[in-house]
This record gives sequence, structure tokens and C-alpha cells, in this order.
Amino acid sequence: MKFKINRDHFANGLAQVLNVVGSKATMPILSNVLIEVGKDHITLTTTNLDLGIRVKIKADAKETGAVTLPVKRLATIVRELPNVDVTVDASANHQVKLASGGSTFRIMGIGKEEFPPLPDFGDDKVFTLEQAELITMLRSVDYAQSTDETRYILNGVYLSFRDNKLSLVATDGRRLALVSKELETPAASAGHIILPAKSVAELERMLGKGGKLKISFNDRRAAFQIATDKDTSGLIDHIYLYSKVVEGNYPNYQQVIPKETHQRLKLERELFLQCVHRAQLVCSEKANSVKIKLTTNLLEITAQSPDFGEAHESMAVAYSGTELQVAFNPAYLLDPLRALTKDEVFLELKDEVSPGVFKTLENFVCVIMPVRLS
Amino acid sequence: MTPRLPAIVHLDADAFFVAVEQARDPSLRGKKVAVGGRERGIIASASYEARACGVFTPMPTARALKVCPDLILVSPGGGGYSGVSRRMFDLCETLTPVVQRNSIDEGYLDLAPCGHRTAAEVEAAVRGLQRKIWDELQIPVSFGLATNRLVAQIASKLRKPRGFVVVPPGAEGEFLAPLGVGKLPGIGGKTEAALAERHGIRLVRDVLARGEAELESIFGRGWREVAAMARGEDDRPVQTEHEDAKSYSQQETFAADIGDFAAIERVAKGMVDELLPAIRADGKRARTLTVKVRYPDFAQETHGRSLATASDLEADFYPLVGPLLRAAWRRRSPLRLVAVRFSGIEDASAQLEMFAATDEKRRRLAGVLDRLNKKPGTAAVRRGHQLVPGQGPHSGAHGRPQPSKLTQDRARRP
Repeated sequence: MKFKINRDHFANGLAQVLNVVGSKATMPILSNVLIEVGKDHITLTTTNLDLGIRVKIKADAKETGAVTLPVKRLATIVRELPNVDVTVDASANHQVKLASGGSTFRIMGIGKEEFPPLPDFGDDKVFTLEQAELITMLRSVDYAQSTDETRYILNGVYLSFRDNKLSLVATDGRRLALVSKELETPAASAGHIILPAKSVAELERMLGKGGKLKISFNDRRAAFQIATDKDTSGLIDHIYLYSKVVEGNYPNYQQVIPKETHQRLKLERELFLQCVHRAQLVCSEKANSVKIKLTTNLLEITAQSPDFGEAHESMAVAYSGTELQVAFNPAYLLDPLRALTKDEVFLELKDEVSPGVFKTLENFVCVIMPVRLS
Repeated sequence: MTPRLPAIVHLDADAFFVAVEQARDPSLRGKKVAVGGRERGIIASASYEARACGVFTPMPTARALKVCPDLILVSPGGGGYSGVSRRMFDLCETLTPVVQRNSIDEGYLDLAPCGHRTAAEVEAAVRGLQRKIWDELQIPVSFGLATNRLVAQIASKLRKPRGFVVVPPGAEGEFLAPLGVGKLPGIGGKTEAALAERHGIRLVRDVLARGEAELESIFGRGWREVAAMARGEDDRPVQTEHEDAKSYSQQETFAADIGDFAAIERVAKGMVDELLPAIRADGKRARTLTVKVRYPDFAQETHGRSLATASDLEADFYPLVGPLLRAAWRRRSPLRLVAVRFSGIEDASAQLEMFAATDEKRRRLAGVLDRLNKKPGTAAVRRGHQLVPGQGPHSGAHGRPQPSKLTQDRARRP
């Protein structure tokens, strides 16, 4: 196996795959990247068995073949090489020679035989989406995923392809974010998956390098083909991402989204965000809530912690409903406000024990459970 | 300027648990009575008649019965101690709002805010309280009155039972000087013996007779505190707010070693059933459950596990009991004792949950059960796992752990 490659392309390719490594103790080869030499490219693959990524990079192949090398160390070395031209040459005993300018490295590799193959894309249920659209949708819900490992069902984003709609949902049991868009969903392809948090993070990293992506899924796994047609740093064809899905029943999220609107107010997103953020500065771990008080045309935000002090923020709003007060964990307010990009958001409130709901005109809903007022 | 008054009062109930039992059954008065666990328990409280025979606390019951064979042993099952204690402190609060409850049977009052002008007025008020506690609860209490907590506390213990010692302002040093140095807090039996043997310090006055350098060499870095104590100086205020409990625990020593896993698991679950209502009553939640086992040779092991989020519901902790007990109980030998401890105590979260309909229902159920079971010693509704096959719901043995208030220490650590 031998090839010549542009250092920056090689480094960029390795950067795409290097987050996905398995635990070294159980299967050492999972900390390695599989390098396969094709005609005019090389393929880089990493996997931790739950999640795998494969990218193709332009390269000048001299001799086909394959080898695996420790991905983290390799990526560091490649980034630091002195010359933009790099040659890689593997001997029969999996020892790899890396040369660039006056630098030469010899790295011990492992044969490709032990490397677990990535399952194929599959032809279960397939949809084609716009990358830009999917990344916006993912970002508007991903913060609401649970990190509590005992609630593993919630440790991911729920994707539903049904009723001519793609819906993404994330919740940790205290707040829930939902975004949807129209999408043709033929009966045969309708279905849903829970994509694990780690896969969501990697997918978000991969998106935006091209126009379209294709997703295929069944009850156990999902696969993504992410076009790289807008990439200028060596990636060709598409990025392939394979992921197991969280198996289990996602909670019935529809039932926690209030059906009726009681009090609705339009807010300047950035202004409201800043007010909540400032009020939050006095919160402590024990007193982690901000109180929202609505009176005619006035919204007040207060926060206090007994051992520090208090904050009071006020903003003018168009409001003529009944006076009401409700308290929330400030982070639960800030997360959706930061994730959204529109200038205006709607906030719907009812009373101190009912959830608050953020909405935008684009099929976005974020339901936030209040903190009981003491 | 108001004159200095002996307005700091220490009250200390005399043989509290025994007194409660005697109030319940007056035929026990004047007899050698002790409250304690049977067979292998310990004496928690002994009447003064029993003490005269050499029964003291904490003494293994078996030994107490040896030194005093006609001892009347009352098991603490009847409970009601905390109720009597609460009523006793309620009576204290009729005197002054500044009441510091230190334990079930002992605490401090500060009468300074009550506007008494003379020491005689203070004394009359406290004597009235002593009478009132006896009239209403039949609990004998000893009082110490002084200008600070340290001296008041030493004074109250001086003439038990039904003691009433007033140390006039300015006479603190004089009062302490002739007392044994062991009366000072922090100087226990061993230290006392060592001071007498090695340094010839027997009385408090002997401490004051030594020079600074000598005191430093005897007491080390804390010598200044010891000297201040010996002079009767103390500026700690009477604190009405108590620290929140840091943990809730309960333990049971079995009458005979038990090797039956199911029986012990039942006992441990019974403790969970007793402790969680207390946690709920305090408006708290617990995160960690620890199970401790003790073998007949007193070797012991503990095993604990934490929930992802704190809870106050039995249903969340039940599944941990069996595995923890199995993990702690590794030796193939029967057990002498099992204990359960809740820690990682947090304020009940005010954050509402979305999918918590079940939890809310459970919490409502728990609230109803807590109210039904409120009367001590009379559990009206019990969980199925507390029933022993072949025995009635009220049979004792190991099936139903007695509400052993004596060992239920709600450790309050500063």
C-alpha cells in the first residue's frame, strides 16, 4: 500500500473521523482508523461499533492496499508535518512510513482483517433531505436531550417521518423541543428512530459540506450519506455515517404540548435572552430559577439567591391579559432562545403550575415545565 | 443599662425515655426501670433507682440484667418519645421564643429578650416552667441557669434529678473551680484519668493554677479554649435554627443472628418505610441509599448506591435494597445487625416534571399513608413486604422492625 496525499486534505479527513473511537481495553483496533487506498482516493473509517464514520479523500494512489493506524496520534502528526506533500507507505508487517519534506515517521499499525466492517447504507426506509435544513432543525432541539443515563430513551433526538412531515423531538422530562417540516412520507417508508446523542453531535459536525443527504433506517440502525459537493478541502463523494438507534418507546410527547393558548406574547428574542441571562447571574445551584411576572404591557424578570442577592429586569411588551407569575429554570429559557435565529418568538403562558411554551412561525415548539413558586 | 442576668438556661430531662414510660404507666415509678432493646440491645435510659444498682447508658442489656437482675426492662417499641419531647419544647416556647433544641431531651433557652429585671424574676419564670412540664407531662427536668451556655449546661447536670442550679453573674469561675475537670465538655474519662495521673490536674481550679506554657504543653494547640472553659467563659449564642439533617438512618440488632436473606431484606425495607416518611415530613429528598451489615464478630460492611436524581418515594429505593444487601453481605455467615442510611439529602425539587404523572400519584399516595400512619407505633397501613407468611400482620419477631427511635439517629453534622 502506497499513496501520495496533500497534508491538509489528509488532516481534514482525519479530523472528520477522529471522534469516533472505541474503548481501548476491549478492542484495541477500535482506536485505529482504517485507511484503504482506492484508485484516486483513500477511504478513512472509524467505528466504536455503535457509531461509524467513513470519508473519502483525494489522493494519488501508487499501490492499493489497506492498514489501520492509531487515529488520534496520526491526526496530530499529520497536522504538524512540515511539507504539504505527504507520502504514506505500508510494509507487509503493517509498519507505516510517513514522509513529508525532511520528516519521516514510522508508525506501528494493525492489519485491516480485525477491523469490524461498517454495515451498508441499506435500502430500508430512505429519505432525501437538505443538509442546511436538517442542521437547523437539529440545532433547534438538540439542547433538550437528556444526559441522565438512567433515562436512556431520552438520550437522543427522536426523528419521525410520518403524516407527510418530518418531526424532530428532544426532551429531558423537564422541557421538550419539537420542530417539524413538510416532507413526503410514503406509507411504506413512514417510521421513526431515536438517534443517540453522540450520533446527533457527529451528524451535526458533518452536515453543511454539501447540498443533500440521504438517510436510511430501520428499527435497529440508521445510515446517512452526506454529500460533500461544497467541500474544498479534499473530501469527495459523500461522508457515510452509520449509527445504532436507541431501542425503546419514546414517550408520548404530543400529550405534554398544551393544546390551548391562554396568554400569548410576542418577544424580541435577543432582548428577552439578554434579560434572562442577566437575571440568571444571581442564581445559585440551590436557587436556580427566574420569575416572570406579566402585568399590562410589562414583563418583569426577577431572580434571587438568599446568600447573594437579587436581580430585577423589566421589558415593555404588548400584553393585556390577566396578571400572572411563573418561574422557570433560566437555562431552560436560554437554550431555545440561543438556538433560534428568528428575531421574534412567541411565549405562551397560563399560570404558575402550567408549562411555558415558546413558538415561532416555523413549526417550532419548546415546552418548559415551571419551577414551583415558593 | 440592664444588669447581667443568669438568663441562659440549659434544660436536661432526667432519664427521659424512662420518664416517658413512667408517665404512661405510673406503676413503674420508683422502680428499677430501664428502656432498652431486649436480648442483645443496649440500655438507652435507666431510672435513678436502676442507676444506683450500676446500670448505665449505653450498656448492653445482657450486662445490665446481670448487675441488676430485678431490672424492669421496657422495650422502646411504644414510641411517642418525640411527641413528648416536642410538647416539652413547646412549653419552653411559652417562656421565650429563643429555644435551641439540641436533642430529644436537652436544649437551651435564652430569657434575655423577655424583659426580666432581676435574677429572682428569671429564676421564678424557670421554676414555673419546671413545674409546668411536670404537671402536664410528668417529665422531671433539671435546669441550669447562668450567663452562658457552657456554665448553664454544667450547672444543669450537677444536681440531677430535678436539679435547679443558678450560677450568679460573675461567679462562673468560682462555681467551676471546685468541680472535677471531667465536667468540662470535651474532657472524657480517658483524658480525665490521664490529666490526674500525669499532671496532677483533678479539679477545674488545677487548670487555672498552671501557667500558659505548661497548659500549652499539656493541652496542645487548643489550650486557650480549655483555659477559657475553666474560667467559665463562653460566647456562643443560643441558636434557634437547627441544621438540616444530613442523613437519616436506622439500624436493628437482631435478637438472634439471622441468616435468612428474605427476612433481612424485609427488615431493611421496613426501615426504608420508616425513614422516607420522616424525609418527606422534612420536605427533603435523598439521593443515596446505603445498607450496612454486621456479622456476629462485629466485622461490618456497607454498600451504597445513588439514584440519578434524588427521590422521596419508596418505589425508587425498593429495587436497590436487595442488591445492596447482597453486595454488602458477602460472607457466608448470618448477620447480627442491619442498618439503612439515606444520605445526599436535598431540598425537594420545585422543578415540575413532564412525564411524572405516576410519580405525582405515588407522592399523593405516600402523603395519604403518612397521615394514616402518623400516630407513633400504630401503623394503620403497611406494605405487603412487611407481612411474614404464616404470621399475622401484627406479630413481632423479625418480620416487623420496631420503630426503634433510640437507634434512629438523624445525624446532624455541622
